[in-house]
Amino acid sequence: MTTSAPFDPRILKSNAPVPGAPDNWKRFFSFNTDAKVIGIQYISVAIFFLLVGGLLAMIMRGELITPENDLVDRTVYNGLYTMHGTIMLFMFIFPVLNGLNNLLIPPMIGAPDMAFPRLNAVAFWMVPLFGVILMASFLLPGGPANAGWWSYPPVSTQNPLGHLISGESMWLLAVALSGVSSIIGALNFVTTIIRMRAPGMTFFRMPVFIWTVWAAQTLQLIGLPALTGGAIMLLFDLVVGTSFFQPEGGGDPVLYQHFFWFYSHPAVYVIILPVFGIFSELFSVHSRKPLFGYAFVAVASFVIVFLGLIVWVHHFFPSGVPEWMRNLFMVTTMLISVPTGVKVFAWLATIWGGKIQLNTPMLFCLGGLFNFVFAGVTGIMLATVPIDIHVNNTYFVVGHFHYVIYGAAVMGIFAAIYHWFSKFTGRMYYEGLGKLHFALTFIGSNLNFFPMHPLGLMGMPRRVSSYDPEFTFWNVVASLGSFLLGVSIIPFLLNMISSWVRGPKAPQNPWQAIGLEWLLPSPPPAENFEDNVPTVISGPYGYGTGKPLVENQAAYENQQFQEV
Amino acid sequence: MTTSPSRINLPAVAMVSAWTGVLVVLSFWMSRQAYHWLPVQASTAAPLVDGLFSFETALATFVFCGVVSVMAWVVLFNRAAKYDMSDAEPIEGNTRLEIIWTVIPALVVFGIAFYAVRVNQQLAILGPMEHIHRGNPIEQVGGYAGDRLPPEAVEVIARQWSWEFRYPKAQVSSTELHLPVNEPVTFRLVSEDVIHGFYVPAFRLKQDVIPGRAIDFKLTPTREGRYRLRDSMYSGTWFAANQADVVVESADSFQAWLKQGASQPLQPGLSDAVQEYDERQQAGAKGWATVRPAPRPQVNFPGSNTLPHDA
Amino acid sequence: MTSSLPSQDHGHGSAPGGGHGMHAKHNLTGFIIFLLSESVIFLAFFSGYAMLKLGALDWLPPGVEGLEWQTPLINTIVLVSSSGTIYLAEREMARHNIWGFRAWWLLTMALGAYFLWGQAVEWSGLKFGFTTGTFGGTFYLLTGFHGLHVLTGVLLMALMLGKSFIPNNYKGGEQGVQATSLFWHFVDVIWIILFVLLYVWQRS
Ligand code: HEA
Ligand code: HEA
Ligand code: CUA
Ligand SMILES: [Cu+2]
Repeated sequence: MTTSAPFDPRILKSNAPVPGAPDNWKRFFSFNTDAKVIGIQYISVAIFFLLVGGLLAMIMRGELITPENDLVDRTVYNGLYTMHGTIMLFMFIFPVLNGLNNLLIPPMIGAPDMAFPRLNAVAFWMVPLFGVILMASFLLPGGPANAGWWSYPPVSTQNPLGHLISGESMWLLAVALSGVSSIIGALNFVTTIIRMRAPGMTFFRMPVFIWTVWAAQTLQLIGLPALTGGAIMLLFDLVVGTSFFQPEGGGDPVLYQHFFWFYSHPAVYVIILPVFGIFSELFSVHSRKPLFGYAFVAVASFVIVFLGLIVWVHHFFPSGVPEWMRNLFMVTTMLISVPTGVKVFAWLATIWGGKIQLNTPMLFCLGGLFNFVFAGVTGIMLATVPIDIHVNNTYFVVGHFHYVIYGAAVMGIFAAIYHWFSKFTGRMYYEGLGKLHFALTFIGSNLNFFPMHPLGLMGMPRRVSSYDPEFTFWNVVASLGSFLLGVSIIPFLLNMISSWVRGPKAPQNPWQAIGLEWLLPSPPPAENFEDNVPTVISGPYGYGTGKPLVENQAAYENQQFQEV
Repeated sequence: MTTSPSRINLPAVAMVSAWTGVLVVLSFWMSRQAYHWLPVQASTAAPLVDGLFSFETALATFVFCGVVSVMAWVVLFNRAAKYDMSDAEPIEGNTRLEIIWTVIPALVVFGIAFYAVRVNQQLAILGPMEHIHRGNPIEQVGGYAGDRLPPEAVEVIARQWSWEFRYPKAQVSSTELHLPVNEPVTFRLVSEDVIHGFYVPAFRLKQDVIPGRAIDFKLTPTREGRYRLRDSMYSGTWFAANQADVVVESADSFQAWLKQGASQPLQPGLSDAVQEYDERQQAGAKGWATVRPAPRPQVNFPGSNTLPHDA
Repeated sequence: MTSSLPSQDHGHGSAPGGGHGMHAKHNLTGFIIFLLSESVIFLAFFSGYAMLKLGALDWLPPGVEGLEWQTPLINTIVLVSSSGTIYLAEREMARHNIWGFRAWWLLTMALGAYFLWGQAVEWSGLKFGFTTGTFGGTFYLLTGFHGLHVLTGVLLMALMLGKSFIPNNYKGGEQGVQATSLFWHFVDVIWIILFVLLYVWQRS
């Protein structure tokens, strides 16, 4: 069996057998209700769509490397960026986060599975379903949706060919299915967190990751129905001829913007909150210190939920909202920097004076925090109405959100994948490839997304397939950076595949981390603790305090009960 | 568990203060640089916006560099030795510190908001927004009807994909926007089809043009020159090409231009979209389906959108 | 097994071999969360309706005077009383009087069906359609979406009624009945708001 001796990379070379589920790959292609299988299914599908969305981005950056519209037709460019945004958000980032939720929630709270395992599988299998719908829309005679991922009417309802099955209607169908899938997922996660914690795990003994997921999924439950409502109305406008958003019939296009952003602003916190959770876990483990100010960090998540619900108008300040609304939503938006700052400063205090281990997960966390703070301060600029009036719908916005989404969220997700890889595959990843992946990603993303800020300040609009020559320089830099970023994915894929197939066997707890999931074998058996659910007796970050996490901790560390 | 520093560590305090000083100087320098990242200032709004941006650049630099300094310090000096898996000192929190870093950002935020609200009031760009029935306010292509407009206002008509500007008093229409320098102007923004965005980067101002509404929008140009007006709200296939030029000139040249315009017969105005659409149709319409561009507006003065511009 | 560990303790029956499908408490928690989430769609439609109505140049389409409110009022009374009958059904169930439960339950279903029928009658008599401006659009959207929920409620009740004939089905827990009843009260509350918005708030 595995040992509980301090982690020694040399031990990994040994071929100690790993307990756990059979290495039966077929289960990943079946309607399996095991959250750990579903988690890996989610993550794999999501990464496939990261490649697809990334490929579209590469073509876009290819078009934008010259000022003229020369690589693809304008209609094609518009379809590309619309599908890039849609795929990245609905097919990559939400599924990948749901994958982490599936893998991590049950083991971290000591539950055997999700509250509703079958619904869980249904929610997952909807992802490939609407993925196919989205991809199929590329084959329609009119092309895929091309009104941007916001799909604002009246552009989105113009439908030049007049077909019932248009790119736009397929898009709406896919987004609606994605919404249903996410609501089912959110129901499951929230119920599981409320109902299925191990004995002794009070709310204030839950890991911060669980707190942030709970907060994020609460946002999904509140926000998604509004988007669904808006999407239903838009669909009726498109295919039945109602006029909810059509000025001819007395409708109001700006009303759609309220519906859309009432969800899609909170959606960005759905993305970043779990990443905050990942940062909180990893900074603590890899600097071997308790998370600083645990209770503040945990509760700040719900402050962000509350504030996140009352800022949506900052996405359309210039659309003719009255002055008082502009001022109000400016202040609420800026206030989000307060709970966020609480978290950032807590992480700094956590690593401060720690014993830092610069392994791949930690590097991704540090890089992610760097990018996040940069994106945060540009976010504050965007919140400032007079500045936003100038840079709204320019590349400044595109720069802001790729810094936070790719630079912070995706890097945080990579950190999580490396950190928990051993737990769920039973293998160790290769550190050298991981570090190479980090270096390319960090350099590539900064080279790619920094130039977008000067471009936006100079007044280059987003969503353009051609631009004035004065914008050429920074666009060339951005395109080169994006190609580097495209290359950066190669060491990642190589690492994942090769180490899963033939990487060194992982011990139970390679990071000497505290947490229920590390008291399980790698990979954990189907029902996690089965009949041996531990009783939690202390908080989640007892590094250096010597306090055991659970009753009878040694038995878990040695996996005594595993031996028959 | 709360640990409080027992004694004040003088060298550390000195070092932190010195570094803070460096960051303050750096932030100040960045706030000066910020002006160079923006286009020329060509309206009364521009200095106000730029001032705010410069101020926030300083703040942003300080916050960002402050955080990065801590990270850099930790990475350089708090590294664990190889194979050292032991724990560090367990400091679990410090309530006073946590309250400080909640309150200070809150104060900073209210400071920024206060400043920004003041700038908003000074800008006062947005006039009344009238709901209108589409179809009513804008006549069919060609000609000009000045009856609905206050005579000083300039009517801006956005279409897929061209811009048309109408001067009611002088009965002139154009696809190039001319404005007299240092004179306040009110636009009445209308759209015939989808949402467009009226955006002149050199003015730092932008307003969405929403079908079904007539939006009054005020500004004062302050610098003579030729600038770009860009559609800023995605409006379909030729969105990128939906740009026009703005010429800010002296009152005299402006009057002369109006007079000359009034004497010219109506002619097809500029529309890159129409031109590209025709070329595309001839080439066999590669690509996907598109809405057909609106015909070129009939105007007195087409102007140009290919001359070199200042911003 | 050398285990000296405390055994699992969160409401699992000790059914050997997993059996991870059914958890009474989880189901009800999940259902309540679902209803809360669902109410946001209605909230979105309500606020959309209010915004369109307040911003309209002329709200009523030409030839339409407004909505007749007497029949809908009767409908409202029927629906509200069905909330009472479903409560009585539940009480009978708690007293283990299964036939009393079935009787009240059936009456609730009848009232629900009557409501749907009344709604259909009203729709068929209207002079405007779904695409008649924002007035027609919002009217049919709101009443139609709500009607869909009433229909779902009636079908759920039929399902529960059928299940009640399966022997011993209601020994352990009656979460299905509880959930259906919650759903029915929810549909009822939504209707009251809808009635106020559509029929009482006529002037604009
Ligand atoms: C994960 C995603 C994510 C996150 C976390 C954020 C975070 C923030 N965003 Fe961003 N944003 C997006 C994703 C995200 N955003 C996307 C996708 C869009 C565009 C969508 C589209 O148009 O297609 C967008 C667009 C967008 C706009 C609209 C711009 C426009 O279209 O004109 C605005 C405006 O206010 C904004 C603001 C902010 C703010 C204030 C934060 C804040 O939460 C940031 C808070 C963080 C900090 C401030 C840093 C840390 C804090 C401290 C160190 C404390 C001290 C700091 C101070 C006192 C300032 N964002
Ligand atoms: C999760 C969200 C996410 C992510 C990860 C990304 C990632 C990237 N984005 Fe994305 N982007 C959005 C979300 C995201 N984007 C959104 C929401 C919009 C707005 C859309 C709109 O306006 O409607 C947008 C818009 C947007 C634009 C603006 C388009 C415009 O306004 O005209 C640009 C331009 O450069 C861009 C570039 C990139 C690049 C270079 C990456 C890179 O990070 C990608 C890196 C690439 C890879 C990691 C994979 C590389 C793949 C290969 C090398 C090929 C192999 C493939 C196969 C074998 C199939 N994006
Ligand atoms: Cu399974 Cu609780
Ligand atoms: Cu936002």
